[in-house]
Amino acid sequence: MPQRIFDPCGIVEASAKPLAPRAQDLAGKRLAVLDNTKWNGAKLLDAVVARLSQDVRFAQVNRYKKETFTKPAAPELLREIAANNDLAVIAIAD
Amino acid sequence: MTLEALKIPTAVIVTTEFVREAATQAAVLGMPELTPVVIDHPLSTLSDDQIAGRAEQAAPQVTNIWLG
Amino acid sequence: MAEAAAASVKAPGDELWVRDDVDLAEWYLAQPWSDGLPVIVPTEEKVADVVEALGGEPDFVECKVPPRMGSLTRQVLAINIVLAGAKPEYAPVVRAALVAMADARLNLNALQASTHMAAPLVIVNGPIRRSIGMNAGCNLFGPGNRANATIGRAIRLVMLTAGGGIAGELDKATLGHPGKYTYCIAENEEQSPWAPYHVEQGYRPEDSTVFVIPAEAPHSVTNHVANDPQGILDSMVSAMSTIASNPAVAGGACAVILGVEHAKMIAAHGWRRADVRAYLWSNAGNTFGELSFNHRYGKVYNRSLPIWCKREPDSFIPIVARPEDIHLFVAGGAAGRFSAFIPGWGNYATPVLRPIDSAQATAANCIDGTCAL
Repeated sequence: MPQRIFDPCGIVEASAKPLAPRAQDLAGKRLAVLDNTKWNGAKLLDAVVARLSQDVRFAQVNRYKKETFTKPAAPELLREIAANNDLAVIAIAD
Repeated sequence: MTLEALKIPTAVIVTTEFVREAATQAAVLGMPELTPVVIDHPLSTLSDDQIAGRAEQAAPQVTNIWLG
Repeated sequence: MAEAAAASVKAPGDELWVRDDVDLAEWYLAQPWSDGLPVIVPTEEKVADVVEALGGEPDFVECKVPPRMGSLTRQVLAINIVLAGAKPEYAPVVRAALVAMADARLNLNALQASTHMAAPLVIVNGPIRRSIGMNAGCNLFGPGNRANATIGRAIRLVMLTAGGGIAGELDKATLGHPGKYTYCIAENEEQSPWAPYHVEQGYRPEDSTVFVIPAEAPHSVTNHVANDPQGILDSMVSAMSTIASNPAVAGGACAVILGVEHAKMIAAHGWRRADVRAYLWSNAGNTFGELSFNHRYGKVYNRSLPIWCKREPDSFIPIVARPEDIHLFVAGGAAGRFSAFIPGWGNYATPVLRPIDSAQATAANCIDGTCAL
């Protein structure tokens, strides 16, 4: 006689959300650089931006900082970034 | 709320130690196809030269995520 | 714009069955969420008894458990409680602790992934301790009491199962500590010379509450010589004044457990709870020079230090920013002059205090019944 298993994990309810449309090109775009204040994150971002800038001319590079790395970024900060930029790079989860 | 949901293509840099967590967060956000930029762990103990090396590793992944 | 589609990992009502020659105890032990110890095999009857103790409504979602965000229905919670070996009458305590932990201010999402040594320490106050037979006395943190052991274990199992905090995958703790198996105690209100912790926070004595703080393992504080408050508390100050603990580098709160003998001696000199916390806060800490390694690795501005701290080499930096960040309890056996310092996890989280079931939250900083402290 079969035995019943009781799953202790529960379901994960996640409604699918679409990603942003991809960029067609990078030249002339405004780049947001978001530093979550973890150690060496800012240095890494600077190095990445410098490396990318060798190949791409961004119209602007705007730098932002999270208040603390342990919690999600404040909605107001994200809205401000979205209103003033076309691309974003964020670091670091380590 | 994420920048992707706000229509901004976003490259998130994680180290190899964090790849599993990033996948979990993506699933929870309803964006399982969201992939991060992955660099070798660690970062916090690196010298400036080593950081430049990680940036070389990251840069092509960043443009791939932005352009799709 | 694409329609948002609900996508569940498993649809409710999907049941899993295995052949009758499968050893169920071994099957559960082999699951990725196992804590490594044997479990009680759930049956329909055992699970139903716990659901009833939780108030029925098996599909009612108590909370979602980060980082996986599994929906903790009463049915799912009951399964975890049965697996842990906890009795139905313990269920309200387990639920209260998990709902408190799901409060954003406790930051369970980050706690589960943290490399730090930290596990949620649960401390119970009020009459429920006695009605379910918890241990607040001898061998407080040790084995032998089913309520303490299995309430703590049920909480950890939920963190592993619904929460997904599996070691190596999402739980990145470098070392962890034994409290991650189970870490649940009760205050010894009967032998304490002072009012209980929850009464200090504004609850009535007849209320039952759970207090949750992400915490390191206990640091023993032994003093069999002093018979006055300053002597005893100077040993506690010594334990607290380390550069190696989470609070030293990351701020936040801590717990202090005064053993019964120590507490009675201190109270006999007229000192009260607030006096103890004030003495510890004003004396326990490190110099800025010690915390910054005397700039041996470069001049660093530590954002975790309060902005008002001076940063000269000899400046005194208290181990916690305010006396309120020392959460003081009296517990343990009647014999032995030992207390314990339990560092928290840092300023990444705020400890929470929550009533169990019918008690009313009265303090100002309470939202939906959970009070951030």
